[in-house]
Amino acid sequence: MTEGGKQPVVEARGFRKRYGAQRAVDGLDLTIHAGEIFGLIGPDGAGKSSFMKAVAGVLQFDGGSLSVFGTAIDSDAAAESIKDRIGLMPQGLGQNLYPDLSIEENVDFFARLRLVPQAEAEARKERLFAITRLGKFRARPMKQLSGGMKQKLGLVCTLIHAPLLIVLDEPTTGVDPVSRRDFWAILAELLQETGATALVSTAYLDEASRFDRVLLLHEGRALAAGEPSSLSAAQSGTVLTLHDLQSDEALQLARQFGYLEPRGRDWRLFLAGLNAEAAQAAITTLLGRTVQTRASEPELEDAFIALVGAPPAAPPVVVAQAHGAEPVIEARHLTRRFGDFVAVDDANFRVLPGEVFGLLGANGAGKTTAIKMLNGILPPSSGEGWVAGADMKRAGRAIKARIGYMSQAFSLYTDLTAIENIQLYASIYGLSRQQARERARWIVDMAGLAGFEDALAASLPMGLRQRLALGCALVHSPRVLFLDEPTSGVDPLGRRRFWDILFRLAREEGVAVLVTTHYMSEAERCDKLALMFAGRVVAEGTPASLKQALAARRGKLLALEVEAPRQALVQLQSAGVDASLHGRRLHCFVADPAAEAPRLCQLLASAGLAARALGELPASMEDVFVALMTELEAT
Amino acid sequence: MQFLLTLRDWMRPMLALTRKELTQLWRDRVLLLFLVYAFTVDIYLAGSGVTLQVSHARTVISNADHGVAARELTGRLVEPTFRVDAQAHTQAQALAELDRGGAMLALDIPPRFSADLAAGRQTTIGLWADTSNSVQGFMAASYITRVVSRFGIETGLSQALGQGAGVAAGSLPTVDNRIRAWYNPNQDDAWFMSLSQLLNIITVFAILLPAAAAVREKERGTVEQLLVSPLSPVQILLPKVLAMGGAILLAILLSLGFVLWPIFDVPCRGSLGLFFGLSALYVFSTAGLGLFIATVARNQAQVGMLTILLLAPMLFLSGAWTPPEAMPPWLAHAMVISPLHHFMDIAFGVMLKGQTAAALLRPIATLSVIGCLLFGFGLYRFRRQFG
Amino acid sequence: MNLQRITAYAYKEWREIARDRLFFSLAFVVPPLLMLLFGVGLSLDVEHIPFVVIDQDHSQYSRDYAARYSSGPYFNLLGQLDHPDRLDTLMASGTVRAALIIPAGFGARLAAGKPTEVQTLIDGTFPSRALTTKGYLDAINAQANLDGLAKLLAQRSGLTEDAARQRLTPVKLAVRYRYNEAVLSLWSIVPKLLMVILMISPPFLTSIGVVREKESGAIFNLYASNLSRGEYLLGKLAPYVAISFLNAWVLWLMALWVFGVPFRGSLAFFALASGVYVLCTTGIGLLVSIATRSQVAAMIVTAIVTVVPAVLYSGVLIPVPSLGPTGQLIAHALPAMYYTEIAVGCFLKGSGMADLWPQLLVLAGYAAALFTAGFLLMSKRPKV
Repeated sequence: MTEGGKQPVVEARGFRKRYGAQRAVDGLDLTIHAGEIFGLIGPDGAGKSSFMKAVAGVLQFDGGSLSVFGTAIDSDAAAESIKDRIGLMPQGLGQNLYPDLSIEENVDFFARLRLVPQAEAEARKERLFAITRLGKFRARPMKQLSGGMKQKLGLVCTLIHAPLLIVLDEPTTGVDPVSRRDFWAILAELLQETGATALVSTAYLDEASRFDRVLLLHEGRALAAGEPSSLSAAQSGTVLTLHDLQSDEALQLARQFGYLEPRGRDWRLFLAGLNAEAAQAAITTLLGRTVQTRASEPELEDAFIALVGAPPAAPPVVVAQAHGAEPVIEARHLTRRFGDFVAVDDANFRVLPGEVFGLLGANGAGKTTAIKMLNGILPPSSGEGWVAGADMKRAGRAIKARIGYMSQAFSLYTDLTAIENIQLYASIYGLSRQQARERARWIVDMAGLAGFEDALAASLPMGLRQRLALGCALVHSPRVLFLDEPTSGVDPLGRRRFWDILFRLAREEGVAVLVTTHYMSEAERCDKLALMFAGRVVAEGTPASLKQALAARRGKLLALEVEAPRQALVQLQSAGVDASLHGRRLHCFVADPAAEAPRLCQLLASAGLAARALGELPASMEDVFVALMTELEAT
Repeated sequence: MQFLLTLRDWMRPMLALTRKELTQLWRDRVLLLFLVYAFTVDIYLAGSGVTLQVSHARTVISNADHGVAARELTGRLVEPTFRVDAQAHTQAQALAELDRGGAMLALDIPPRFSADLAAGRQTTIGLWADTSNSVQGFMAASYITRVVSRFGIETGLSQALGQGAGVAAGSLPTVDNRIRAWYNPNQDDAWFMSLSQLLNIITVFAILLPAAAAVREKERGTVEQLLVSPLSPVQILLPKVLAMGGAILLAILLSLGFVLWPIFDVPCRGSLGLFFGLSALYVFSTAGLGLFIATVARNQAQVGMLTILLLAPMLFLSGAWTPPEAMPPWLAHAMVISPLHHFMDIAFGVMLKGQTAAALLRPIATLSVIGCLLFGFGLYRFRRQFG
Repeated sequence: MNLQRITAYAYKEWREIARDRLFFSLAFVVPPLLMLLFGVGLSLDVEHIPFVVIDQDHSQYSRDYAARYSSGPYFNLLGQLDHPDRLDTLMASGTVRAALIIPAGFGARLAAGKPTEVQTLIDGTFPSRALTTKGYLDAINAQANLDGLAKLLAQRSGLTEDAARQRLTPVKLAVRYRYNEAVLSLWSIVPKLLMVILMISPPFLTSIGVVREKESGAIFNLYASNLSRGEYLLGKLAPYVAISFLNAWVLWLMALWVFGVPFRGSLAFFALASGVYVLCTTGIGLLVSIATRSQVAAMIVTAIVTVVPAVLYSGVLIPVPSLGPTGQLIAHALPAMYYTEIAVGCFLKGSGMADLWPQLLVLAGYAAALFTAGFLLMSKRPKV
């Protein structure tokens, strides 16, 4: 990053923004240089959106200075003068697009609005359609697009006037991993092509590794800034995956090292400041025995939590008792058609009590429809959904009283306070006043709402809101819980607390949980998973069994570090290697990593690309997901 | 006992949802402010701003005669019925004034008017009436006709029977028709205007508030949360009507207490309790219409268009402005389905006529039937829409 | 102002409206439907007033006098009542709206050449109806008196009855009705219906427009681009103005063909004025949309500020000069009154630009004021 006399694209000094008495951004300094992808990361309500809107000239701010392309944004007229060079994609999937217009009409509108000459607009549109593969759907109305397509369309519309700076506010929230990956690849390619600069925010920290530089925003202030690798390196430490821990050992570890994350039968532990050997030694000393462990580098998420300062963690849930073998949720040949379109096609799966069951799939794969059929909102076209021993088609009130549901759309009344929401749902489910009080106390405690009881739901940070919504879904102590993307847009800390609650409910109270998510780190935590594709369940099993199946089908994972990853990818793929891009690394599926590594490095070296093999990687759920989806899409 | 317990269990969630709706309304300050405005200031404006008598009918006179008789005749065109504020020199000028819209009536008195009259010759004066507003023009013309005819009789009689002979009142066999208006003896327009405006406002809010509340719940997705709960559609929809109905009844009280009674002295000759009970029934019926709209409409824009399609005819064809007997029979019969048609009878009946529930049995029964049908249909559509 | 951006926005808006099938159909169906309903139903003629006679005199005089009321089209004689007792309930229920009470001794007094009285009770609930009823009663009574006096004069002076009647009407009033020669309620009401309907429907088309974009986030396309506030307002408004202008023509044709109202004025001027008027009424909706925060509030505000005033303060039912001071003020503050004058002038009076330019000027000023207010209320760089 040389500043070499070049003018920065964005420069903020002491930037401040407040809403009433609430400080959103409080003295932010940052500089963004031409051509880089600059990422803003941080918890909900950290002030990311406010800053990005101010940069795009669509929000007034209260103090400090902000200049874009060297123009001080200090008046409406100044803001106006830079808007022709900026493209803004506001938060919310496709919210600035027009649902009733087709893909092409949306793009044409943005082109005309931006006064792009016709010929140029046509050429650019075709080029963008080609890269995003939206061309063949050009006549389809935007409202019928999947989340990933909406997001790509949003990008096309933002780029149609070839802006020099593009501002993307959480462009990938609520989008499945394949589409997210696709999105970033497209963005990188286009930026390289045009030399434009990008200011981006994201709630998925694993994506931050794709940015040139990131800034961690917390409570309106910059907590850390720099290249993603330096950021995670700043928080040196090791992640250990531990097998076969006794429950008392888990408690012991948690007391000593803080947060211990259950992953199926394994546990994941981040030890700050220790290298792999030291970490393993520390465990051995503490437990007095050698535990089977696997060490890996900390992820940005670990760094993030360490930097933000995680609150004291609750002891891990170590109960693993069985709650019965009779399924509480069962989909039997569940099918739903809307006209010609088959949203859910002969889906079968069962969830046992005390089990956390994850339903994965791209947007529009049929997850939400399946859930709606199971909880009785939508009648199935054929097949049956059984919950707690009753067919939901004929389910009476007694069954409904045992179901808790958190819909994808934010399901609280935002103009009521937290406690009013809880009380409302308590009354709806017929709790007595005494019971309602007790449950309210439990929910406030469980969701960490103390101090926010009388705050309007609309004013709560995203993570708190989601936990309040969960609390409302739990107010009547349901035996069955349906959660549809409960953590979309929630920051890592919020998600961690959320999942701890889920596990406690499942393990200690035997609640059956059916959950959908786009976070693959969350998928790792499920007991069982089902992958849906085009309405069908295409794979089912424990995370471990799904990974084994992947290894059997595609081979093991070898990680390569290369200088020019994009060219290297092309090189490898043309040589017939099953490779994919992960930030600056390449992941290749090979039969024997140790044997193949030198061969692949050799192959790249011969093309003039320096490469270093990082060895075999354990496959993650993301690898499983992406591999499966790409295989299915290819057919 | 068991039944009462079940009823209590059935009511509890509904009361909670009703409270929720009221809280939401309370927090929407703009809407709340406008609710208060509509029920007070807006009604005050209508009550104080509108008089329905033919008043100040602008008259232009072109008087080519300068005799006493002509002056006497024109002197009889007095305020407040007429306003003679323009004198034209020629008939053409007077007609131009009519064309310009400066006057509604043009009276042309010929040059030899007084002379002819004195000579006992029949004379003719011209009157042009602007009937582009048919009722007003016609009424004003007939007022003048009566003035002229009275003037003629008096002149003719005094000529025929000798000056002063028997023209004095009380000595001729004439009939004096004393007209008494019941229910509003002074024909105070403010009574009618403020009451009918109150009914209009009630109607607007009773349709729109529940419709919008229901569609908002659909748009935001919170309705799903209610659907997975053990609540029945009645328990989900009725609270909206209860809450909005309660708010509207409170607003009616506000309107009566601060505008209708103290400012316009509108009497309440019947039972106030009955009035409120029946207002509640009306709000329920109309809210059924709102819920029906909410189940048809997919977005608020559609709610808006559907609302005016139903609201406008309801407001203006229910009988306040056009008497049912003036409409073609089929339309008069069709308006029976308008809840406002019946509530009009009820509201004016209780407030001005002092009618009792027994006397209003018919409109009450009809209104109840319409309300139940609309609400039932709303429920049916809601059920169908959500499985 | 950049024309391309305006047309781009207008075209987008148009496509969106056209895709919302129900809304789009309603936009074209509602105005003609209301025109039909109001044209047929909103008649102010009061005829066939249900009427009873309570004749306590039972003389030839009283029978002849009472018969005068029921012979015309105005009163519909339901029958005779012996006693006023039941009148209470009959009036209250609306079965009877007028009752003539002829007291005993009526005929005897007239026969003796003395003045006498009768009483008519009318339902005063709806003052406009009561007023018309009163007018009919007065006219019929006046005619009765004239006939009575003519008879008397004939007896006393030996003239024929016709001659006597002529002596009693030395002044003939030659009444000519202008503009609406046959005094048809329809002719008078239909031109004003154009005003009413174009005041009710267009604001509802636009009232949701901006709030909806604020709620969804599409408003950011305005904020983030070089589209100016003025361009946005024009582009947003254009399709609705077009729809409403088209509707104005449909209503015009209906007035001519369905209701048979003559159009005597300048069509070009009327078209221009109608265009400016729909610009005003769509503009009202848009202004409400800019000023409110929620779609619910936008709709309710629109309903209250347009639907009722369109009828009350515009000269349809009550001529503006008859309104009280506040009513006059409201009437002058709304575009409806000016367009009423234009519509009536063009349809019935044969007027054009020469007579009605001041009204057109006011409407144009109104449109400009709405536009300015909308412009000032918007911000491309809001605080929140």
